[in-house]
Parts: sequence; C-alpha cells; structure tokens
Amino acid sequence: MSGNIIILMLGISTFLGAAGLAALLWGVKTGQFDDHSKFIDAARFDNEEDLRDAAMMEEKKKAREKKRKEEKKKHYMPVD
Amino acid sequence: MAQISCTHCNLKFDESVMITEQEGDKTLYFCCKGCQGVYHLLESEGLDTFYDKLGDTELQPAVQTNDDLEKFDLEGFKNKYIKEHDDGLYEINLIIEGIHCSACVWLNEKVLHKTDGVIEATINYTNNKAKVVWDPEEIKLSKIIETIRSIGYNAYPYDPALQEERANKTKKEYYSRILVAVFGAMNIMWIAIAQYTGYFTGMQQRFKDILNVAEFILATPVLFYSGWVFFRGAYYGFKNRIANMDTLVASGALLAYLYSIYAMVSQSGEVYFDSVVMIITFVLVGKYLEVLSKKQAVDTLDSIMGSTPTEVTLIQGQEKTLVSIENVHRGDLIELKPGEKVVIDGIVVYGEGSFDESALTGESEAVLKRKGDPVLSGSVCLDSVIRYEATKEASDSLLHSIVSLLEESITKKPRIEQLADRVSGYFSTIILLIALLTFAGWYLYSGSFETALIVGISVIVIACPCALGLATPMATLVGISVAAKRNILFKEAGFLETMAKSDLLALDKTGTITEGKPSVIQETQYSPYDASLLLALVSTSTHPVAKGIYHYLQDKEESLQPVTLEEIKSIQAKGIQASYLDKQLFGGNALFMEENGIVCAHESDHTLFYFAIDGVLVTRFELSDTIREGAKEAIAAIKSMGIRVVMLTGDHEKSAHHVAKAVGIDEVHARLLPQGKAAFVQTQQAKGHITVMVGDGINDAIALAQSNIAIAMGNGTDVAISVSDVVLMDEKPQSIHDAYRISRRTYLAVKENLALSLLYNAIAIPLAVSGYVTPLVAALSMSLSSLIVVGNSMRIKRIRLTHS
Repeated sequence: MSGNIIILMLGISTFLGAAGLAALLWGVKTGQFDDHSKFIDAARFDNEEDLRDAAMMEEKKKAREKKRKEEKKKHYMPVD
Repeated sequence: MAQISCTHCNLKFDESVMITEQEGDKTLYFCCKGCQGVYHLLESEGLDTFYDKLGDTELQPAVQTNDDLEKFDLEGFKNKYIKEHDDGLYEINLIIEGIHCSACVWLNEKVLHKTDGVIEATINYTNNKAKVVWDPEEIKLSKIIETIRSIGYNAYPYDPALQEERANKTKKEYYSRILVAVFGAMNIMWIAIAQYTGYFTGMQQRFKDILNVAEFILATPVLFYSGWVFFRGAYYGFKNRIANMDTLVASGALLAYLYSIYAMVSQSGEVYFDSVVMIITFVLVGKYLEVLSKKQAVDTLDSIMGSTPTEVTLIQGQEKTLVSIENVHRGDLIELKPGEKVVIDGIVVYGEGSFDESALTGESEAVLKRKGDPVLSGSVCLDSVIRYEATKEASDSLLHSIVSLLEESITKKPRIEQLADRVSGYFSTIILLIALLTFAGWYLYSGSFETALIVGISVIVIACPCALGLATPMATLVGISVAAKRNILFKEAGFLETMAKSDLLALDKTGTITEGKPSVIQETQYSPYDASLLLALVSTSTHPVAKGIYHYLQDKEESLQPVTLEEIKSIQAKGIQASYLDKQLFGGNALFMEENGIVCAHESDHTLFYFAIDGVLVTRFELSDTIREGAKEAIAAIKSMGIRVVMLTGDHEKSAHHVAKAVGIDEVHARLLPQGKAAFVQTQQAKGHITVMVGDGINDAIALAQSNIAIAMGNGTDVAISVSDVVLMDEKPQSIHDAYRISRRTYLAVKENLALSLLYNAIAIPLAVSGYVTPLVAALSMSLSSLIVVGNSMRIKRIRLTHS
C-alpha cells in the first residue's frame, strides 16, 4: 500500500467531515437551532412563499443601503 | 341555542350574540368588532392563508386599545429599551402576547415583514420573544406596535441585557466549541488506533509521519478554538496570580501539543495529539454540563412591569382623563375601578372598598380601606370605585421599588466558592512545581535537555485533569436528576453544593408552611338547613372565605347543586345577602349579622362565618389556614440535621406563633414587610450563615433573591419562581428535607470524586516523575480515572428518601 493512498483517504474523509461540521457551525451561529418548534415548523410548512418573503427582506435591506449611499452622495461637498 | 365559533379566534359563543356578515355564499360569524376587523385586514392583505394554518386553535379575541401608543416614542423609553445600530437602524426586543401556535408566529412575522421600514423581524415561538430592527426615518416604534395590535396581538418591550440572553449566548458558544472538539476527538481516535497498532506491530516511519500530520491537523483547531476557554481562564488566573484548573489544562495541553510537534518534525518518539484532544474535549464537556444547567433568569420581572397599567384615571375638577403614570404628580386625585391594579401609592379620600394585598403581604384575606387609609401599589381594588390622592410618584411607589430592589438583589447575590475550584487551585500549583522540579532533576541527572523535557511534560499530561474536571459536574448532574425525579427542580448545578453547606432555613408562613387559603375546620349546626342554598350563596363571591366554604360543601356532598338566587348583594368585607323564593339569606361575619339584627356572640381564634335564613342563625363555620401535611415531621427532620429553622411572616404575631408552635419552630419574626424579610436574611449572611429561604409570593421575592438558596413553591407567583434557585413542584414540606438530603449526598460524592482523582494522581505522578510513562499507560490511566469518577457519581442514585 502506498502512502499516497492513505493521504488521499485521510484527506478526503477529513475534508468531507469538516465540510459537514462547518455547515453545522454556520447553522448554530445564525440561530437556526435556537427555536426548536420553529425549526420543525420550517420543515413542515416549507414553501415558495417563505422563500419569496426572505427574498423580499433582502431586497428591503439592499434598498436601504442604496438609499443611504445616495444620500451620502447628495450631501457630499467637493472640496475646492 | 347553537354554539358557533368565531371566524377569527375560533372561540365558541351563542349564535344570537355574534356579529354575522354575508360574504358571497358564506356566512361569517364574529364574536366582537375586533375579530371582524382583523379578519378583513388579513383578507385585504392577502394573508387569509393564516386560517388554514391555524386549524382549530383558539385565539384570544382581538381587543384593540391604542391609547397608550405615544409612550413608545418617548425619549425615556428609547433610552431604556431601544438599541441603536451603527448604521442608524433601531433594534428592540419585544414579548408578543397572544401567541398560541406556529400560525400566529407566521402571521406576526409576515405582517411585520410587509411593513415599510421594518428591516428584520424574527419571533421565537418557544418564548414568544421577538427581535425587530427598523429604520427610524421611515417608521416609528408606535406604528410597529400598532401594527401588531391591529392583528389582535399585543407587544411589550423587555430588556435583553438580562442574564438569560447572556446565558444563551455562552451556551451557544460552548456548543460550537464542543462540536469542533468532538469532531476532532472522534477522528483522531481512529487514527490513534492505527498508531497504537503500529506501536506494537511495528510501522514504517513514512506511514507514521502521515498519521502524525493528520493528527496534527485535527488537533490544532481543537486546541486553539475549543480550548480557547481554558487559555482565557488561565490568562485571567495569571493576571490575578491564581493557578486554577484552567491553568493546568491549558499548560498541559499546550506543552503536550508543542512536544508532539517536536516529535513529529524530528521523527523521534511518540506524539500525544490524541491526549491533547481528549483532555480538551472531556474537560470542556464537564464545563458545558455546568453551563447547561445554569439558571434561566428573570423574564418574569419584565412581565410584572409589562402587565401593570401604564396609565391611571385622573380627576381634574369635573373631568376624568387617562394619564400616563409618569405624568402623575404628588397630590393628584386618582380614581380606581373594581378589578384595577394600583400602581401609585396614595391615601383614600373618597369611598371605601376592599383590596387584595396578597402580592404584598402574602395574606389572601381582603383588607377594607376607608377614607384616610393608605393604598399601596401592587394591591388590587376588588369591589368598588375609590378615589385616592397620590402621595408618591410612580417611580418611588412600592411596586416599582420592589422590582428595582429585586434586580439589585439578584445581581449582588453572594456566591459561595465551590470546593473543586479551591482544590484545583492548589492542585495546579503543586503539579506545575513538580513538573518543574522533575525537569530540573532529570536535566542534572541525565545531562540531556531533551529527556528532561519529555519527562517533565509527561508529568503534566499524566496528572490528567479529566477526572478533576469531571468530579463536580458529573456528581451534581446526577444529583439534579435524582432531585428532579422527586419533583424538586434545581435550576443550577452549583446550588446543590451551596445548599449542602447551608446551616439556616428561613420559612415563609402563608403559602409555604400553610396552604395559604382558609379552609373549614369546624361546623356548628344550630338547626337543619338546605345546604344547596348556602352553596349558591357562597358561589357568588370570590372572597377566600366564601371559596373555602364552597370547597368544604362540595367535598361533603358531591351531588349538591346550587339554586338560582335573586337580589344578590355583596357587602364589602362583611358578607353576602340574597333572596330565594320568599326566604332571605344572610352569610357573613359577626358584624354583618349584628347589623341585620341577628344575635351571635362567639369568641374564636379563627375566622368565623355565619349563615342565617330569615333572621334565624342556622350554622356557624370556623375557618383557618391549614398547615400543610407533614410540615411538623419535615421541620423536625431538618432540625435534626443541625439546621436552624426560622419563620418569617408578614402576618401578625398571634397567628404566626400559633402556626410556629404547631410545627415546632422556636424562632419567629412576624409583621415583616418584603424588605424586612430581605434585611433579616442579609444580617444572617453577614454573621456568616449560609441561608436557605423558602417562599411563594411577591412579598418573599426580595428575600428569596437575597438568600444563598431560594426555594419556591410550584404554585407560587411567577416572580417567586423565577428568582428562586429551587422549585418544589409537589409543594410538600417533606421535599425541603429531601432537597437537603440530596444536596448533602451529592456534596459527599463531589468530595469522594476529588479524593479519588487526587489518589489516582498520587500513584501516577511518581511513575511519571521516574520516567516510566509510555503513551499506552497515559491513554489507559486517563480513561480509567475518568470512568471511576463517573461510576462513583452514579452511586448518588441509590440514595433512599424516606417519604418517596
């Protein structure tokens, strides 16, 4: 058995495990496991509407950012 | 008549009282205007799928009050509750009232999301708490609250800087760290199996190198991410010049890690990466067990303040106006309606009526207040319209001061140092010293720097802190679960040890030693009568005495049915009068009888209730607050454990001594106000007594918060339960005794565990010092010592509780 095979096996399996761990940590960090019942309901009532809703909130955030930037521009006074 | 459920809230009412409406070919029924409004609002917004999600769940009818909205935009409110983000957004934490199911959560989130200016809205279904982020330039908070109210819910703010939020954050942090540690430990374990097999059967150096590097990669995040808490703890310890458990874990793990890197690079000797990861994982799990059972703190404080009225009816000349309590000044005239809660202290100037002061004194009996009597905030006006003059402003009134005293007591509660912390301090110092001496000795003896370093490090690694780290959490966790099976809920693991050290037990009287409500102890019949008449009469009143008689009659004859009475008149704090067919019924106290020309002259220590038909006395009841079953035996048992038992009560001396004598308590402090009880606890603590306080009401809350261990009755008020450390679900006095026994047994197990792990070290360390430790010995002894500690902790389960 060559050393390369062992490196490959160890490397791939550890990487896959680490990817799963990273996803789990991301879930914990963004509060997806904070509310047990909501966590289950999200799976039960999964639908397109919720996705649209989430997208709408993203839009709102973006729109506000844009507005703020524009306002900054408006108030920007060039130095002369 | 048919019962029909409301289209919005699903509550069932008679068809005749409902608002009906034709919509297409459907008939809609509403119980009130509020529900009707909400229904149409949801429909027009396209949110009527809510009703599909709702199913048969019953909601509370939508009642809309929007007259206090302006307070949400006040500056003071903003400073207290609103957090301003760097980018100009505002954030608030709200408790949403009226959430019954996931559909409610969905609806609230949906509606908030649709509101312009709201950037983020998340609601936690489990505790009904919401976080809302909005743009103050686009929308005001009052508008957001109005939106929530318009769909039939209510929201009030709470301060998230409370302990619970912090506790949740640490819990989450620990959870992530443990996930990484467990991932590392599990993967290193199967690589280590290959290593150990190779150690016995021989393995080529190049394979060994591959395995070493793989272990190194896995161990690094575990040591520096999961083990960060130990480095932090060691750093703080170092700053304060204390060697603690963290010092030992951090230095041991770090040194073993550095040595392993050296062994890996130089291709000599064995690596200890698996030991590094094991130590971190085991001790981290032990720490997490302690964090996990940390007390869920004080949300209810917010809800008391949240549920108190925010405005009062002010009399200005001929006009009545609703004014926010912040705007009431001393000398203002306030009107109270029946059922209203007093929020501002004052003196009655007009009218008389009875007040429920149970929140303040713990006594369930109503108190009659006349002109000139003081009215205290926190009490509830029961039966009449009263006008009183404010003598204090809202912020200095009793209710507010109780809440602020509570908050203060919770934060300055004295903590008792735990045995394991103290032991590990000495232990760490000694081990580090021995390691240093070993290194010096071997360096002088063998002359080789490398050998000396290896042996020195092996001392620290073998002095495995796993057993020491698990000694307390394992024992207390088993103790907590044994107690929970006996309906005694310890909210935090450390409380078991504190309670085991306690030498003073302070008991509240009403509701703790006694049942807290009057019950009939004797009936003296003068002539036979129809009991259903009396049952009907007492069922019209909510007075505790009437309730006591009602329960007595129902227990005596189950088939009894109340008849329908006419002309029912309830006279404040005196009695009830009614007529049935042509009979006149009177029920009440002696004063009430005399006023109606009925002769009765009796002396009794207890509360008396008379019942007369057509002016003739037919029966007399003696009522008294009964002592809980087993109280006397429990108190005797607690005393025999060498604990001083004291009674603290707001009641007068006579009844206090009566109860104390019956249960065998010698030391009684009567007529204590809520602050007085707390002061007693404080003086005892100053004298060095570790105090356990048992209580059930708001009046005990400050003393509970002040005491080292607070025990609340399961039926007590929310505040008492939330400030307490232990809750007795079955309310039996015997449970107090059991709690003492379980905590003492657990404390014994903690001491045994510490002794065992020290014993293990006494054997293993000389081996390490003399240089006999191989990786195999290290791995074996590490698991063995941890297993012994776990096994010894399990023995707590065999405790025999006398009355279970």
